[in-house]
This record gives sequence, structure tokens and C-alpha cells, in this order.
Amino acid sequence: MIAMRTQITELFGLSVYTEKSLLVGEVEDVLIDIEGRKMESLVVGKLNQELVDIKNYKGLKIPFRIIRSIGDIVLIRHLPGAFKTGNFDDV
Amino acid sequence: MSRVMARSLSRKKIVTNEGKMIGTLKNIVVDFETGQVVDLIVYPDPSFDTSGYRVEGDRLFINFEAVKDIKDYIIVDRYLSRK
Repeated sequence: MIAMRTQITELFGLSVYTEKSLLVGEVEDVLIDIEGRKMESLVVGKLNQELVDIKNYKGLKIPFRIIRSIGDIVLIRHLPGAFKTGNFDDV
Repeated sequence: MSRVMARSLSRKKIVTNEGKMIGTLKNIVVDFETGQVVDLIVYPDPSFDTSGYRVEGDRLFINFEAVKDIKDYIIVDRYLSRK
């Protein structure tokens, strides 16, 4: 288990799963909001093509607010519609 | 609202708002629970006087609160970067 306060590079390469234990992909980068001093979203690559319409993107931006927990993996809410379109505005 | 990719910050130089070079970015401390960005971890330049700064071994910690802007350099407030 990773401590709550840790180095941002520990996130790189972690697998991202939904609460229904479906693989989404792998963390490639983190988008930081400078003024807000927070992680805005995780940039996820090596996407599961059954979940994400891969033609639309090189990577998927997962907003931090849909993350349930981060440990040995990143666990996020299960939002198949949003994964397909890449639009998380309504969730 | 300015946003930046974490990987693009790798090895960026940290400079105070009065133009003093502090050192090179090593890593960033974040809180996985809240998503908050807490500290910059910096390798200070050998010539930089680290007195008044938070130092652990060869690394220097700067509260992210001190960050004023990030473009080619990371600009930090000379007062807020101490403590």
C-alpha cells in the first residue's frame, strides 16, 4: 500500500480499473492545475479497446473526482458511456 | 486556468521571483486522498544558500503554494518558498 502523501512519479505506470474490475488502461501522465494546486486528471494510455473507442484519442483524461482510491492500482467509478466518448462533463 | 503535464516538469529549473536560481526539479509530492499538490522536491544548485529552507539530505522542499507560474522555468515566491 502506498502512503497517502507520495511522489507523483509513483502514479506513472499504475493500472487503472473500474469498480466493476474492468481494466481501463495505464497512467501515463498527470495534469496539474497550477492555481488550484491540485491534480486535475490522470492521462491514461494503453487503453482497453473494448471500453474506449481508441480512434478518438491517444490517451484518455480521467478527472480526479471519479477516482475512488489509489494504491497498488487506481480504482475509478464505472462510467462506460463516458469512457467511450471521453466526455466526463456530466458525471 | 493554467494547467501543466507533470512529466513536462521533469528537470525544470526553479527560480525565485527576484531571479535567483534555486535548483532543478526532482519530483512533486501529492496527496492521493485529496488530489492536492503539496510540495516541489528540488535538487538545489551547489552555489545556492539553503538556510531557511526545508532540507532533507540533498533535497530541498518547497511548498506548492509558493509557485507563481510555470513556463520555461518554475517561478516561486522568495518568501513563501521558505519554511
